[in-house]
Amino acid sequence: MRSASSYAGLSLEGQQKSALEVARNRLMVAVLLFFAAFAVMMVRTVELGLSTPEEVQVASRQIEVPAVQFSRADIRDRNGEVLATNLEGASLYANPQEIKDAHEAAVKLVSVLPDLSLAEVESKLASGRHFVWLKRKLSPREKWQVNALGIPAFYFQREEERVYPHGRLAAHTLGFVDVDGNGLGGVERYFNDRLADKSMIDQPIKLSLDTRVQYALTDELEAAMSAHQAIGAAGLVMDVNTGEVIAMVSLPDFDPNSVSGAGGQERFNRVTQGVYELGSTFKTFTFAAALDQGVATLNDGYDATKPIRIARFTINDDHPKSRYLTLPEIFAFSSNIGTAQMALDLGTERQQAFLSNIGLLQPSNIELPEVGAPLYPETWRKISTMTISYGHGIAVSPLQLASGISAMVNGGRLNAATVVENPDAWRTGKQVISQSTSRKIRQLLRLAVTKGTGGRADAVGYRIGGKTGTAEKAVAGGYDTRALISSFVGVYPMDDPRYVVFALLDEPRGTKETFGFRAGGWVAAPVVKNVVLRTAPLLGVAPKREDDGLYQQLAMMIEKD
Amino acid sequence: MRRLFTILVAITAIIAGAAVLQLKLAVQERADKVKAIAAQIHEDREAIRVLEAEWAYLTNPRALQDKSVRFLALMPPKAEQILEDPTTIPFRPRGVEAEEDPGVLLPARGEKKDDKAKPKAKKGTSL
Repeated sequence: MRSASSYAGLSLEGQQKSALEVARNRLMVAVLLFFAAFAVMMVRTVELGLSTPEEVQVASRQIEVPAVQFSRADIRDRNGEVLATNLEGASLYANPQEIKDAHEAAVKLVSVLPDLSLAEVESKLASGRHFVWLKRKLSPREKWQVNALGIPAFYFQREEERVYPHGRLAAHTLGFVDVDGNGLGGVERYFNDRLADKSMIDQPIKLSLDTRVQYALTDELEAAMSAHQAIGAAGLVMDVNTGEVIAMVSLPDFDPNSVSGAGGQERFNRVTQGVYELGSTFKTFTFAAALDQGVATLNDGYDATKPIRIARFTINDDHPKSRYLTLPEIFAFSSNIGTAQMALDLGTERQQAFLSNIGLLQPSNIELPEVGAPLYPETWRKISTMTISYGHGIAVSPLQLASGISAMVNGGRLNAATVVENPDAWRTGKQVISQSTSRKIRQLLRLAVTKGTGGRADAVGYRIGGKTGTAEKAVAGGYDTRALISSFVGVYPMDDPRYVVFALLDEPRGTKETFGFRAGGWVAAPVVKNVVLRTAPLLGVAPKREDDGLYQQLAMMIEKD
Repeated sequence: MRRLFTILVAITAIIAGAAVLQLKLAVQERADKVKAIAAQIHEDREAIRVLEAEWAYLTNPRALQDKSVRFLALMPPKAEQILEDPTTIPFRPRGVEAEEDPGVLLPARGEKKDDKAKPKAKKGTSL
């Protein structure tokens, strides 16, 4: 490098000077450019160092948390309680080649997994193969215990398992899945595609069930079933305004965690799939139809002094009074004779249209694959009209009955029954009877409990109204008088109905406590009473003193004798 | 002067280089931390699923009823034990609310439904 002064000296002379001048100027331009670039960089560095980081920058930086992988969405109840979930399970396999002492390893393994047989495990581990399955689907605890054994030849294969933490509770509504996780029953099957949909896997399906109510109903029905040695039982709690099913029980039931042992009897959903002749509970519909269409008023009455003989049938009363009965009396004492006469006044066509309108002649639309179609005569003759008026000769599922009763008491709006939480369902209802008819039906139902056959359902403070139903089971060629279907449908609180509670016992037997009786009022009504007492506080229905004025007028028309 | 300037630039460059390297390492460390935390969150979420299922299993109504029958003397509430409106309790100071106890954890979802059904707690003292 030369000194700067020599350049300056040369610059004064001739052409050479100008050439050097140009070169130097060009160099200076480059130097200045570099300086400028460095200056920009320095300024920017200082700026970055001093400035606080902008919010936008932080947000735009995505931190990716790997999503929890599972292949089926959860099912939860209306309070968010887990009813079905997929858990990571592990299947245990071993590489026997790596095992030195097969006996010791087998003894250790069986000590933590006692359901394995020692001899079998030992022969597997001594087989000298490269791969043997030891156990499928271990629980997390078992996996931990096996790991704690510290035997390097044991390996785990990741597997997913559908778990129903509540076991048998609500098994019929939930359904179950096969080993590959495909829904084979209940909601699992009906919503199979939705549950397995990858884009909605983290959104659980929220059912309308309430686990606590479900258990109370199950517990009471189990107790009644064993007390009366019944072969089966069914129960239902439904919100009258939305049609949401709060609890649905069918006994005997099964454990969806291990379905293999359960037969058709256990898997059969008596609430939706089973259709039964439900007996006198149907009188509610006959009364509603007659009152709504002005065929009869509450001040009318019918002569029930002697049985009606028609064709080769005789229509009798179970609680015969053998006198002229007013309409409230016919309902409260459950007179078949009176109801049949009223149905004749109503007429076959109007009865048929009414029952069809409240969905009793079509299968229910509930979100379950197990839905039974109602049974009724193809040709609806006069005798059919009469027997159907009190619930014989027509078989419907308890779910259909509960939907119909809901519409009778909630002001006349029929809502489709649903097992999915849907608090807005009341908007879509269809008006089937008038408000005033609904009010009359409420009074009749309440009086059937306070003065009539449903007395054993009267839970103090909760103003239950309801109707008993007792029917002989239809067998080939007639009815079996020894086998009954005893049921009770209750509604509470009667001054502002919120819930329908239904209980049914299949072939109950009388006990000492019921004096040998096995009718609905004796065996099913107490179940409803206990369920209401247990669940009303959970469902937010407060007990209060009853306003007797609501029922006074009708109560005067019922003469107890 | 010129030499001094060159040395200054060289030193600045070295310092700047070292600082950038330092920064890079720090960023890398942070990024690793973030990744580890993300992995931890993932693990925790999986654990939460298992624990939720276990919680549902252990607190199923049947198990609770068994335990209640075995260890507690609680009976189902009777109708007369339940008050819809707490202001009907006689001699109850109005407008004085009990202070919230932060030590008591109540599940938010259950609260709304239960408060109506709360049994009258001071039945004996208020009458």
